[in-house]
Order: sequence, then structure tokens, then C-alpha cells
Amino acid sequence: MKYLGLELLKLRKKTRSWLGPILVFWLIMIAYPLTIEASQENLEIGFFSVLWIAILLSMMFATEDIFTEDYNDGTLEQTLINDTSFAYQVALKVMIHWLLIGIPISLLSFIFSLGTNGNLSLSLLILPFAMMSSYIFLNLFVLGNALSLNKGSVLGAIITLPMALPVLIVLGKSITAIQLEINYSGFIFLLLGSLSIIIVSVPIVVSYIIKAHLE
Amino acid sequence: MNDTLIIADNLSYKINENKLFSKVSFSLNKGECIHIKGSNGSGKSTLLRIILGITIPTKGKIKKSIEEDISYLGHKNALKSYLSVEDNIKLMGLLNHHELKKNLETLGLKRKLDIKVANLSYGQQKKLALLRIFMSNSNLIVLDEPFVGLDIENQNILSNFLNNQLQNEKGIIFTSHISCEIDSKTLKID
Repeated sequence: MKYLGLELLKLRKKTRSWLGPILVFWLIMIAYPLTIEASQENLEIGFFSVLWIAILLSMMFATEDIFTEDYNDGTLEQTLINDTSFAYQVALKVMIHWLLIGIPISLLSFIFSLGTNGNLSLSLLILPFAMMSSYIFLNLFVLGNALSLNKGSVLGAIITLPMALPVLIVLGKSITAIQLEINYSGFIFLLLGSLSIIIVSVPIVVSYIIKAHLE
Repeated sequence: MNDTLIIADNLSYKINENKLFSKVSFSLNKGECIHIKGSNGSGKSTLLRIILGITIPTKGKIKKSIEEDISYLGHKNALKSYLSVEDNIKLMGLLNHHELKKNLETLGLKRKLDIKVANLSYGQQKKLALLRIFMSNSNLIVLDEPFVGLDIENQNILSNFLNNQLQNEKGIIFTSHISCEIDSKTLKID
């Protein structure tokens, strides 16, 4: 809990880190209706594709300097030699980023979905999908960011972007299932299963990658 | 190994084919201090990082009786420039430490609590980073060029602090190009 509070303190004072990705998401979603013929039918056609891509991009921005600052100022070295597991601290850091960025974006997804199609039950279903996908994307980009720690975040994003493609496919299929009113719970479990694996494995892998960088 | 904090046995390190140091051996007991000396690029900081377990030596072994109880200050101060002095102290987990007030006064930081670290001078930032060392209960203190950026008065404060720590049976390993009055044995690497 102590570490959680300290990470929150850092993020609270560094507004750009958490507000930036939320604004990017918001701007994409606002810009979407401006680019097409604004009829209800047209809006609904591409809405979910834009939504998932907006979440993906926002999560990419959210991890832009997740370790860079700590690497440059020497905090990572201090973290490495203290008595708490490094992988555990990475997992907490990712979770705090998700709480501050992923959750608001998921809530905005619900609001934008409701505003676009006016369907409350569909929009409520978007919420768990947005929450899970944002956490998965965040973990994937954290992995990329760790890989390219001193080489710039764009390289890391390029490395990990292909890993996010299966998640986008699942998200697309789940929306189709929901709209056709066929069983979509399989997709929820698939995302949940992926998330539970990623949530454990990514921090462990990332901790080894960062140790290698510091070496 | 009761009084021994660290035993380094034949440590060697090379980057690609470039040998930094080889066959470095030493032991550090409680209440002892080692001053690592060497020219620029001789591998002093790397040796410290090997002691900390951050870097793995090419050859040799390091045996520590304390695995997770080390205070370290390297070239980087581990401070957040966008946070105030007080917030940085909070990040270090020292805000409720009973000796905080005394140490802030000693280091002349008492009236700087609200100031952002980015607005402090290098020396003041160094002193803030030293708080971590001054208030830790670790049995081993590892410092990489701790006197750099400090004026004579603060160099003396740091030397006195380290000498007191030695009397309290702590172990100290440090590198420094600046001469200081610390009761230490010298380890020269080239």
C-alpha cells in the first residue's frame, strides 16, 4: 500500500503522464464523427473499431515514459536494491497507471458508446471489454517500453504492436457477437484468461529486462 | 562470517574485450571502511554495482552476509525534479523519521521543503539525496563519489557522519577523488 501511495503521489504531480493519454482518447473519439457523414447509421458502423484503436493508442501514450524517468534519475537502481520484489513493484506500477488512465478511459468508452448508439445494455457491456483490453494493452506496451528503455519509446511500441493485434481481433468479434445477440461470454473469458496470464508474466519478464538494461 | 559483511573473491570485469579490472579481492568487516581509488574509467562505479548485485562480474564471486540491507547513493541522485523537497522525502519514506528535523537542519534544507527539486542547486540536490543515507538503518553504506558537489562544510558533515557510522559498527564502501578524513583502508583498482 505504501508503494501504491508513493506512485500515486508521483503521478498526481505529473499531470501530463495520466491526463495526456485520456485527452488523446477523448480527442480521437470527438474527431471520429467529424470525419464522416454524421448520420446515426454511419456513426455506428465504424464506432467500435475507432474505440478499440483509440484505447490502444492511449495505452501506448500512457506507457511512453513509464520507466525512462526512473532509469534516468537513478530511481530504478534504488528500486532494484531494496527488499521488495522488483517484479511486484513493476506490477504495482502498471496497476496504478491502469487505475489512473485505464479506468477513466473505460468509463469514457461507455459514455461515448451510449452517446453514439443510445443502447444502454450494449454500452454497459463495452465497459468490461474496455477495462480488460486497456489493462492488456498497457501491459504489452510496458513490455515494449522496457525492451527499448534507452532507445526511445517508439521502437518499443513497434515491437509490441503486433502482439496487440489478436486482442483487437477478439474485441471486434465480441462486438459482432453482442450485436447479433449470440453468446459472447466466451470472448470475455478469453480476454480474462489472457489478462490473468499477462498480468503475472509481464512484470516478471519486464523485471529481468530492466535488470539487464541496468547491468 | 559473523563480523564480515562482504567478501569479494577474485572479481574481474570486462566489457567486450576491454578489461576494466581483474582479480580484485577484499573483505569488509563491521566498523570498517573501504575507499576505492582508481583513475577515470578504471571501473570503480562498476565494482560498486557488482557489490550491490546490479552488475554481474565476469569472473569471481561476492559473498554478502546482508542481502537486502544496503544504503546506496550513486552518481544519480534518484530525486524527482518536478516534486518538492518534502514530496521527495515522502517518496524516500522518511517523512515520519524521528531524525528528519535534525538532519534537515544539519544539511541546511529545513527552509527548502516547499521548493521544487529542479530549482535547487546541484549541491543542495546532493544533500537531499544524502538524507536517504543519513537516516537509513542499513548495516552497509555504499557511496559513489559522495563528496562531489558539496562545499567544504558539508564535506566535513558527511565525513563526520560516516566516521560516526563506523563507530556504530556499520560497513562503508565508497569511491572518491576528493580527499577526506575518514578512517578507511584503500583499495586501488587500475
